[in-house]
Amino acid sequence: MLLALITSLFIFLVVTGAMAAEKKYKIATVVKVDGIAWFDRMRVGVNEYAKETGQDLWMVGPAKTDAAEQVQIIEDLIAQGVDALCVVPFSVEALEPVLKKARDAGIVVVSHEASTQENVDVIIEAFDNFAYGANIMKDLGKNMGGKGGYICTVGSLTSKSQNEWIDGAIAYQKEHFPDMHEVTSRIETYDDATIDYQKIKEALVAHTDLKGICGGPMPTSAGAGLAIEERGLQGKVFFTGTGLPSIAAQYLKSGAIQTIQFWDPAIAGKVMNKIAIAILDGKKDEIKDGANLGFPGFESIKQDKDKKSLFYGAGWVVVTKENADEYNF
Amino acid sequence: MNKIFKRNELWLFCILALLAFLVGGSNSSFWSRTNLFSLFKSSVVMGVFALGVLLVIVSGGIDISFPAVAVFSFYITVKYLLYIKFTGSIVMPFVMSMTIGIILGLLNAFLISTFKLIPLIVTLGTGSAVTGFLRAFVGTTTLSNLPQPLIDFSRWNIYTETLADGSVIGFSGSFLIFVALALLVAFILRVTTMGRGVYALGGDQIAAVRAGFPVRKIYYFTYGMAGALAGIAGIIHCSLIRLANPRDLEGIELEVIAAVVLGGASLTGGKGTVLGTILGVFLIVLIKGSLILVGIPTDWQKVTIGVVLITATALTAYRSATHGGR
Repeated sequence: MLLALITSLFIFLVVTGAMAAEKKYKIATVVKVDGIAWFDRMRVGVNEYAKETGQDLWMVGPAKTDAAEQVQIIEDLIAQGVDALCVVPFSVEALEPVLKKARDAGIVVVSHEASTQENVDVIIEAFDNFAYGANIMKDLGKNMGGKGGYICTVGSLTSKSQNEWIDGAIAYQKEHFPDMHEVTSRIETYDDATIDYQKIKEALVAHTDLKGICGGPMPTSAGAGLAIEERGLQGKVFFTGTGLPSIAAQYLKSGAIQTIQFWDPAIAGKVMNKIAIAILDGKKDEIKDGANLGFPGFESIKQDKDKKSLFYGAGWVVVTKENADEYNF
Repeated sequence: MNKIFKRNELWLFCILALLAFLVGGSNSSFWSRTNLFSLFKSSVVMGVFALGVLLVIVSGGIDISFPAVAVFSFYITVKYLLYIKFTGSIVMPFVMSMTIGIILGLLNAFLISTFKLIPLIVTLGTGSAVTGFLRAFVGTTTLSNLPQPLIDFSRWNIYTETLADGSVIGFSGSFLIFVALALLVAFILRVTTMGRGVYALGGDQIAAVRAGFPVRKIYYFTYGMAGALAGIAGIIHCSLIRLANPRDLEGIELEVIAAVVLGGASLTGGKGTVLGTILGVFLIVLIKGSLILVGIPTDWQKVTIGVVLITATALTAYRSATHGGR
């Protein structure tokens, strides 16, 4: 009896001792806005990674896209004493002061979709924007047979990454598909499927040689799909661009559009947290050019030539009607 | 004859025709059936919204909650219909969305008439509250697998034609609904006692009370009707774009109010007609839908819209001021 008691006491001590030795990191992932499909998917990734690693990881974000609210959330997290912050900024500039404050307090900062961020340990982008755009054009040019006119859409002429995608797409077209041409300057659609739909219909009337649509913002996939389907232009006019399976699936299946591209926010969430943990473990040297982070699209990350803190994956996913059902966002 | 020429509507029609000839002159595809059918279809949702806003503005009020009401109505309707796996008649979604719209419109009327609050503040508040409620309790994800009756409605054409290149064009049946609703609102405003009451209330509230108009009833009628029309416009929009997006229609209120004012309605109340409103809607749809046709670079499109709108409004206002047109 006494022996049993001593044994169990011993086991208890060993277990608690082991738990104390392996200190849990507290890492918050702060996103632009909570409650939309994109970041719901990122939360899935963060939570999965928390289970895999046993660390204390969670995701938060403001109820609406608002730079000031995101700053406030980060202020609160600094006060709570987190070990690291993984941030997807709504406004890169607006976050600089508060991220500086975080780093001064010894908090590790990793960011995503923020190639110009200064107060940060590592910026990890899903891909190089120009390469992403080139990949869109590769599919579009192939579908169009390398001939005919095309248009490009962006959410806004001031949105930096989308315009870089389109720059990359146009550069790829000029190099590989010399018989194709852009029929009108890139069209602004304000991330609104209705505007995409109306502008594409209008462009089809205005330019009879229009055979391809290269979509920057996500809603273009739905607007283009509807316009093509309604006019019975399947197989005559092609679309390739950014899109979400949940919104574009019906048009992929009906054959109105061929491929959509995006990056998986769940993986982006995991990669950010993995980098944060590596830095906290004192292994920052392992985040370098050519490093394998062990996630699809991040097997060999590239370091930016000019900015040492900036890294790119090749994390885009191409979806066709065959694999559209594999994604639920 | 002289009386007809004094009317604002004719003046507005001339501006519209002039603009159409300018656009058609620079790109003849403007006159193609493909483009004209497309413009008519684009005017439906904005037109139905504008009819509701017209009623409220004529009564001397303002409603800026209608986009929020529309989104609330169609999103809940679609979510519910998907939940019960609805496959029945298209009438059901319309009635349901309209009913939700009416309830919210009556709430506006209750707050405005009971507490004598300013309509701008009330509708700003209800619009914000309704949007918040929707996102917090109903859902934030865009639904793209609409019930079949709504998909069928979006494909409903009263005339279709296959062009030489094998593509198809159609005249959307939804335009008929807009025409029917416009006739209904015109009938109410011109013929019924309630309609005369709306003008009287907008013209001079105290005089309307003394003349024995049931002012409270008129409030409930105008805001209830605006809610109903917002609900209908919402479900039409959602069907035509084949998405139920809870963040949709943001910012449309300014365009719609601009169309109604352009159509000759006075923001101080008591003035405005259905015909003028329809012309105002056509004018805005025409301007917005012709920028690529004319070949205006994207950077200049907003500037162009602004300049054309200000010019058209100034011409109309100048005309009314000098001729005392109604």
